[in-house]
Amino acid sequence: MRVRSFLVVGLAVSIAATSAAACKSSGSKKTGASKNLVIATDLPLQGSNKDTSDATNKLIQLYLDQVGGKAGDYKITLKPYDDSTAATGSWDPATCTKNANAHVANKNEIAVMGTYNSGCAKLEVPILNAAPMLMISDANTNPGLTKKWNPGEPDKYYPSGKRNYARVVTTDDFQGSAAADFASQDLKLKNCYVVNDNSTYGQGVATAFVTQAQKDGITVLGNDAWDSKAPNYTALFTKIKAKNPDCLYIGGTYDLNGGQLVKDKFNVLGDNSKVKMLGPDGFTGYPDLDKQPESQGMYVTFAGLASEQLQKQGGAGGKLLDAYKAKYGAAPVGNYPLYGVAAVQVLLAAIAKSDGTRQGVISQVLGGSGVSLAADQCVLGKEIHVDAMSGDVNAKDISVLLEKNHQQGFLKAQSVQ
Amino acid sequence: MTALTSPVAKPPRSARTRQRRLSSQAVWSLSLVTLVIAAFIFYNQILPNLADSVAGPVSRWAPITAINECLIYVIMALGLNVVVGYAGLLDLGYVAFWAIGSYVGAYLMSDFIFQLKDGIHIGSSTTVRTLPGIHLSFWAVLAIGAAVCALFGILIGFPTLRLRGDYLAIVTLGFGEIIPQFFTNGDRIGGLNLTNGTRGITPVDPINTGYLSNILGLPRTVGLSPASLPYKFLFFSVLAAICVFVSLRIRGGRLGRSWLAIREDELAANMMGVPLVKAKLSAYAVGAIFGGLGGVAYAEHVGGALADSFKYSNSIFVLIMVVLGGMGNVWGVITGAFVLAWINNTGLQEFGNTFNGWFGTHVEIPSYNFLIFGTLLVLMMLFRREGLLPERRTQQILREPARTEMESVGSDVEAGQASEGDEEPEQSPEPARAAP
Repeated sequence: MRVRSFLVVGLAVSIAATSAAACKSSGSKKTGASKNLVIATDLPLQGSNKDTSDATNKLIQLYLDQVGGKAGDYKITLKPYDDSTAATGSWDPATCTKNANAHVANKNEIAVMGTYNSGCAKLEVPILNAAPMLMISDANTNPGLTKKWNPGEPDKYYPSGKRNYARVVTTDDFQGSAAADFASQDLKLKNCYVVNDNSTYGQGVATAFVTQAQKDGITVLGNDAWDSKAPNYTALFTKIKAKNPDCLYIGGTYDLNGGQLVKDKFNVLGDNSKVKMLGPDGFTGYPDLDKQPESQGMYVTFAGLASEQLQKQGGAGGKLLDAYKAKYGAAPVGNYPLYGVAAVQVLLAAIAKSDGTRQGVISQVLGGSGVSLAADQCVLGKEIHVDAMSGDVNAKDISVLLEKNHQQGFLKAQSVQ
Repeated sequence: MTALTSPVAKPPRSARTRQRRLSSQAVWSLSLVTLVIAAFIFYNQILPNLADSVAGPVSRWAPITAINECLIYVIMALGLNVVVGYAGLLDLGYVAFWAIGSYVGAYLMSDFIFQLKDGIHIGSSTTVRTLPGIHLSFWAVLAIGAAVCALFGILIGFPTLRLRGDYLAIVTLGFGEIIPQFFTNGDRIGGLNLTNGTRGITPVDPINTGYLSNILGLPRTVGLSPASLPYKFLFFSVLAAICVFVSLRIRGGRLGRSWLAIREDELAANMMGVPLVKAKLSAYAVGAIFGGLGGVAYAEHVGGALADSFKYSNSIFVLIMVVLGGMGNVWGVITGAFVLAWINNTGLQEFGNTFNGWFGTHVEIPSYNFLIFGTLLVLMMLFRREGLLPERRTQQILREPARTEMESVGSDVEAGQASEGDEEPEQSPEPARAAP
């Protein structure tokens, strides 16, 4: 009997499938009049990036509410996607692929705001490229997505030969070199040791730091990877101590056991007044890091302008942050949420001018003269322009933050050559 | 001797049961084939034309990418079932073969080896003809991936031959850790970038259907566009079907019966003349071949090989699929793999969304997945140790009264009891005859 019931189920499913074909719906046809369009966000909503991603989604929603959920004639709604899994606690390749296909399959979706992680973008961009569909990122800092970096990059991410990717943040190469300039000009450091977390991102910033540091006359004593699974880094730092550096550059993210790394650096090399510690934006936006006594005095760069500074400047960004604080009772975590809004602003500007199709939006952002946002409208407090050829943003701001009194305060804006 | 390995105690198999056995398998296979074809037609033809009100929930609850991922897990679980379910060798490092398969796929279907400026192109898709690196046909890569994995399966098998139980598990666990670590840290071995580290190798080539496109009317290139996903589903289904076929046929054969004998009593099997070394190595090799096929398919599915995706938890996850589904029973393992993979990649999340939508809460259901799986596993072990769709043999062994108790009264009643208990073991003609 049991055996027969399986056959019945199988048959029932196939009959249901064929009968569904018969009642084909006319729902796929669309008229040109005031369309409802969906902007997707694609961020890691679980694990250690949860706070920043949640704040990004909330801030974007708040912004959309403020502008009445409209771009030109189009009604815009937001649809958040999660590219992380609970099991990994970070972005997951299979989930990224799945999301990319979901973006394409969901006909209302006009463009994607995301992803947070460059590795995830490298999987999603080729899929969206075939559609084609625009992705504009608030946080991908890996250079290879838009410019020549590793062999085959960036062309291999665009199989159709046409670009469909843009971003509103500066790339790692600028961040690493800005940190090197800051170390040599402001801190007058001479001997630096570099460690990286062995990730795409970490190696990228570390390499950029090494290259620029050598140009600036800093002796780079070594560039080692730290193993994120190691219980402690005493041995690593003992080895580094023997070389007697006056600075340590940490190229990587706090996610990958950064807490232990910072702790062991303190224990072996001494506090941050003796051996200066510098890090990239992978060490920004983590309340846990701010709490650590060992992190005090650490310099962190951020590929953009810090929220705190933007709030002081007032303008569109400041107002939005004030509204957020009024609604949720706290400032958004990290500096990326405002960049998420900036990416959405670029999207809205493009959608307003476009014909409401995916290709139309791509043509606006990556065709003609590209998209510009005026300084008084842009939440980043200055005029930004997304280059139509590369998809990179012209605003190459690097902020240097100093970890003090358990928070990362804005120290100075570092110019980038 | 237990009842199960002694042919003497059994009545001769009647024609009726033999026929029944055939029909059970045939019905399972037929309904699965029907399901696959129906699903293909549905996703390829019907779903794109449905109204959003219908298509929306379908693409949320059962997106074709999730189904494809489930199929890859089915292939993996069938592979592990050969090692754990058939031969009874506990393998906690199965993810190693998955990783090796994926990387073989990525090496042979990407521009990673960019030093070859003109590239080596054999049967690759026309869209990648001008790229450097090695670009082989997906079908050839499947075979190569399977062969490489078989080799590694044997390599891993050798040192474990003398080990049993916990010690075997620990060694396989070691291999499962070493190999993904090698891929993670292999970007500067002697100054050479062998694996591209955590950056992984992306993207891999689309599938070139070649002659198949002339015969079956498939698109010439099955790649990243969403329209090609149903075709990937079809290809992965064929791969899974091959694995099912091999699993079923091999089980009834000489090799399969020696595996079962080893699983139930290694010492007795050896005494009866089952060649332990050969049988165990073959189990590892066959399991690894399936892992290799699944690995190459996974690289194609995700669009690259990324070292971070091969974690210890994957090995455990596949093992849970085998155990929950029913160790040794192919249909059980398929069901277990499909259901658990779906719950993991889509089900929990959508359930969470629906739940939160109804009650206006913000409970993150997916973050409880290990709690849920753990509870499930504990409950299963308490109430249904043999799995969802148990293999008859396992069921009989588990239901058999404790042996020591009966031995203590000095009687040899096991034989009678066991054959009384349930129907004759399905799909397993007298294993003791496996002896040469």
